[in-house]
Amino acid sequence: MASDGARKQFWKRSTSKVPGSIQHVYGAQHPPFDPLLHSTLLKSTPKVPTTPVKAKRVSTFQEFESNTSDAWDAGEDDDELLAMAAQSLNTEVVMETAHRVLRNHSQQQGRPAPQQVPTPEPELQPVAEPPPALIGDLRLVKSVSESHTSCAAESASDPVPLQRSQSLPHSATVTLGGMPEPSTLGSSALSEREASRLDKFKQLLAEPNTDLEELRKLSWSGIPKPVRPMTWKLLSGYLPANVERRPATLQRKQKEYFAFIEHYYDSRNDEVHQDTYRQIHIDIPRMSPEALILQPKVTEIFERILFIWAIRHPASGYVQGINDLVTPFFVVFICEYIVEEEDVDRLNISRVPAEVVRNVEADTYWCMSKLLDGIQDNYTFAQPGIQMKVKMLEELVSRIDEPVHQHLDQHEVRYLQFAFRWMNNLLMRELPLHCTIRLWDTYQVSAPPPASRNPRAFHISTCTFVLLSS
Amino acid sequence: MAETYDFLFKFLVIGSAGTGKSCLLHQFIENKFKQDSNHTIGVEFGSRVVNVGGKTVKLQIWDTAGQERFRSVTRSYYRGAAGALLVYDITSRETYNSLAAWLTDARTLASPNIVVILCGNKKDLDPEREVTFLEASRFAQENELMFLETSALTGENVEEAFLKCARTILNKIDSGELDPERMGSGIQYGDASLRQLRQPRSAQAVAPQPCGC
Repeated sequence: MASDGARKQFWKRSTSKVPGSIQHVYGAQHPPFDPLLHSTLLKSTPKVPTTPVKAKRVSTFQEFESNTSDAWDAGEDDDELLAMAAQSLNTEVVMETAHRVLRNHSQQQGRPAPQQVPTPEPELQPVAEPPPALIGDLRLVKSVSESHTSCAAESASDPVPLQRSQSLPHSATVTLGGMPEPSTLGSSALSEREASRLDKFKQLLAEPNTDLEELRKLSWSGIPKPVRPMTWKLLSGYLPANVERRPATLQRKQKEYFAFIEHYYDSRNDEVHQDTYRQIHIDIPRMSPEALILQPKVTEIFERILFIWAIRHPASGYVQGINDLVTPFFVVFICEYIVEEEDVDRLNISRVPAEVVRNVEADTYWCMSKLLDGIQDNYTFAQPGIQMKVKMLEELVSRIDEPVHQHLDQHEVRYLQFAFRWMNNLLMRELPLHCTIRLWDTYQVSAPPPASRNPRAFHISTCTFVLLSS
Repeated sequence: MAETYDFLFKFLVIGSAGTGKSCLLHQFIENKFKQDSNHTIGVEFGSRVVNVGGKTVKLQIWDTAGQERFRSVTRSYYRGAAGALLVYDITSRETYNSLAAWLTDARTLASPNIVVILCGNKKDLDPEREVTFLEASRFAQENELMFLETSALTGENVEEAFLKCARTILNKIDSGELDPERMGSGIQYGDASLRQLRQPRSAQAVAPQPCGC
């Protein structure tokens, strides 16, 4: 065995930066955050709020879903939500909530409230919508990745992966930006709103030149199902705003994609590409929602899309997680061609006309490419995009909920340990698919051009929301 | 009431993509095969308290992603691990060939003294075998690793792999070869009754307490 001196040397050396790593993790030196233990505690002991201030809001995901008039499903949203798209309101809500939180905290700690809320990175501010909704004073922190390990049978097709927080006391007051709760709205009023929203979308889309700015505003609070495919194609920049140019563009792009296939796809078994193909090939069956993706035809489509993307983007190539990003596009685009009632999981692809499937494949490829253009640094060497985003998440949490931040720090939990996957898979493993799709409605509009295809800022806000509300 | 244990060991599960790392962990913790296992992104955790040689040991297991691109990130999780399961797939020569690189990572980034057990997983797929037991055991011997062939599907040797690794660490503690109090040993005392940890911060965190949140 090496002498003590030598060992010290070794450790001394390794405290310095190791290539490609940002931080070391001292998971075993101190009693680490124990997800299994922690969740058992959560389940068995109903939490008694320690202070009245803290008792305010604790909500489960379903509760949040049912208490907000958002477009979780096509057209469920209402006009009030449109107002939230206005940046001024967002900023106001953010500031107000931030002030309130700071006030509460300082009261607890017996310190005067700071006059000024620290200004977050400019790009974070306008889109920090979700945190105000759930900046509860909830101090429970639970990595969602933990629920994966501890919940044996959980599959990603489980529609309610966040339900374990159900045993938490229910909130008395959940409001989102002062909106009325859906229960106060008559269902007929709701459907009228739905219809009028849908009309607005249809009008916009039918204009000779779609006003993309207006479309963004409208899409922020969710896109009705019937117009979602077209709206996504426009917002991602795949299709032009000019209505007359769209069919030709579609045709050209679809042709282009299939030319790639013809050109490159046979090379998947060549020595240079076989690792990539092999990885894609073994990953797709391990994805969800299985029922759809496990159909051989769909599996093949995913393989083609991912392989072509990977070899055309050698800087990152195929990285696990990218496969997940194909799903929302594919599902949204294929849904355009299936009967309303039909569950996408039960869709039999061989009953959809071949021409339609081909078009969906090409559209999926291009829209996924557009999305990935903005986040490719998530997947290049050492994954700098993810490292940076995790840092931003940490920064944001430390500013809006210092106790949570300190709690994590005290238990030596590094953000990278639980938030890596949130960034790498855009929360797709954490949320049911229909929520991801709804989330992506907003991702598509969250940043103005030229970074229009970069859902970074809104995504970080969403992650903050997940962390502070779970 | 929190569980009590004499020691806590940090374990890693490492190896190439698709070798069955998460399934081994799942089998060890849940006693069943994880049918719909998704590929791991980053790291996932599991823990189980086991009895080894009269001692209660809590194994805190870090299950890492296998794909090459995640390596720079997963490496940051290695620090201070006491033990590791180094996993390859007996039906894939490729996963066997990359063992040396994984081992180097473990020894340089976790600790030179890390106790490693080599696991040739997917033992149930013997007809498709590409790596013989003999050559793997030779590799293990040359590199001072313990070695088992395992099956996360049937559960064969899964528990043994974890326990064997834990037992070896305990023996090394007994013989003085491993010092649990050394920084980065990957070992902690579990109970105040055994010994107080030196750092006030960790001592505070060791006491199971409602965190007031």
